[in-house]
Amino acid sequence: MIQINNLSKSFKNNTVLKDISLKINQGEVVALIGPSGSGKSTLLRHVNGLETPSNGQVQVDGVNIFESDKNLQDIRSSVGMVFQHFNLFPHMNVLQNVSYAPIKVRKLSKELAEKKALELIEKVGLSDHIKKNPAQLSGGQKQRVAIARALAMEPKIMLFDEPTSALDPEMVKEVLDVIKSLAHTGVTMLIVTHEMNFAKEVADRIIFLEEGILLEDSNPVEFFNNPKTDRAKEFLAKIL
Amino acid sequence: MNLDFSGVIPSIPFILEGIKVTLAIVSMSILLGFVLGSILAVFKISDIKVLTFFASAYTSIFRGTPLILQLMIIYYGLPQTFGIDISEFPAAILALGLNSAAYVSEIIRAGIQAVDKGQSEAAIALGVPKRLMLLDIIFPQAIRNILPALINEFTSLTKESAIVTVIGASDVMRRAYMVGSDTYLYMESLMIAGVFYYVLVSLLSFAGKKLEVKLQG
Repeated sequence: MIQINNLSKSFKNNTVLKDISLKINQGEVVALIGPSGSGKSTLLRHVNGLETPSNGQVQVDGVNIFESDKNLQDIRSSVGMVFQHFNLFPHMNVLQNVSYAPIKVRKLSKELAEKKALELIEKVGLSDHIKKNPAQLSGGQKQRVAIARALAMEPKIMLFDEPTSALDPEMVKEVLDVIKSLAHTGVTMLIVTHEMNFAKEVADRIIFLEEGILLEDSNPVEFFNNPKTDRAKEFLAKIL
Repeated sequence: MNLDFSGVIPSIPFILEGIKVTLAIVSMSILLGFVLGSILAVFKISDIKVLTFFASAYTSIFRGTPLILQLMIIYYGLPQTFGIDISEFPAAILALGLNSAAYVSEIIRAGIQAVDKGQSEAAIALGVPKRLMLLDIIFPQAIRNILPALINEFTSLTKESAIVTVIGASDVMRRAYMVGSDTYLYMESLMIAGVFYYVLVSLLSFAGKKLEVKLQG
């Protein structure tokens, strides 16, 4: 479903991704891990075209997403993204945040979009907060709204870019629980994370990047118990 | 010190007659400056190179030369070069409006670009087209940065409008000067003009502050 071919990315003289090739199947849950600055987030941001490759291709369902603006636009409405800093719309309340894109992009009626939004808001446990503005919510609540907002577009693929890195420690669990509840429901998930226990528990596949190079691609048991590369061993030794 | 306001009192209605002219020039230049400035701001944030270049060149020229020079080019220069006759009233509006547009476009551009980049990324990731993104997501947030600075710009335009007196537009400034030269009571008549400008600018600033408080709330 997602096919990345020989993807490279440079910002001016700084090469962030080097010749990455990768195939991800429908419904798979993939955790991208590695040290800061290894290119995990940049790789993730190529899947919905927030970054444009310097070289190589990204295909989603056989469609080269960078071939035309139309392809990009189509892909974006079927790929949901959750950001480290939530990026909720501060001038809209919770319900409006979640129902905005379904109304304006998918052209659903307001009634239908709000009905679906309310279901999703309930799913992430925030039914008591629908009329609140983002400023009145805690970090964990904001991120759960952001997840509901992405899900409202009924995406085939969900991208999570360090979804818990900006949270206070006591709020990490509530967000991870929501993400876990989505895993293995048919939606393909790519998660950039520093939460190793979470990755171990929820992911089907671990991809380890360092300095823009894809060093390991294996299942969690193998990766955490028996990493192939020295770089991965060092990394795990430091953080576990 | 020797001030004789009784000498200019009969001329006060004549000076105040200029309020109409000043207000007409100011309000129409603000309108022109705002419309043109908004268009230039859209050019500046567009992806089309020709438009961005045009808008930055425009801003650079109008901000980099004196307003009084622009006014004189329009009033004296254009008729000489192109043979078009332009009277003082439209010349004043054109000069002030074109000049203000340069500042307004910068205010709007800066206000839009001050909105957190995460906002446009979130909108793009949801597949929101650029026009809707600007209208529904970016602009409502930018307006908080833009409005106070715009009020500021329009306050200073109100004051600067007094320079149209050099091309003979009969605004408050011009009339005060005429009364001064008629009666030899320059200080008194200029002070009346001063009070008028001060009150007008204070009213504008007051409205601006009110608006700012409302926006923060």
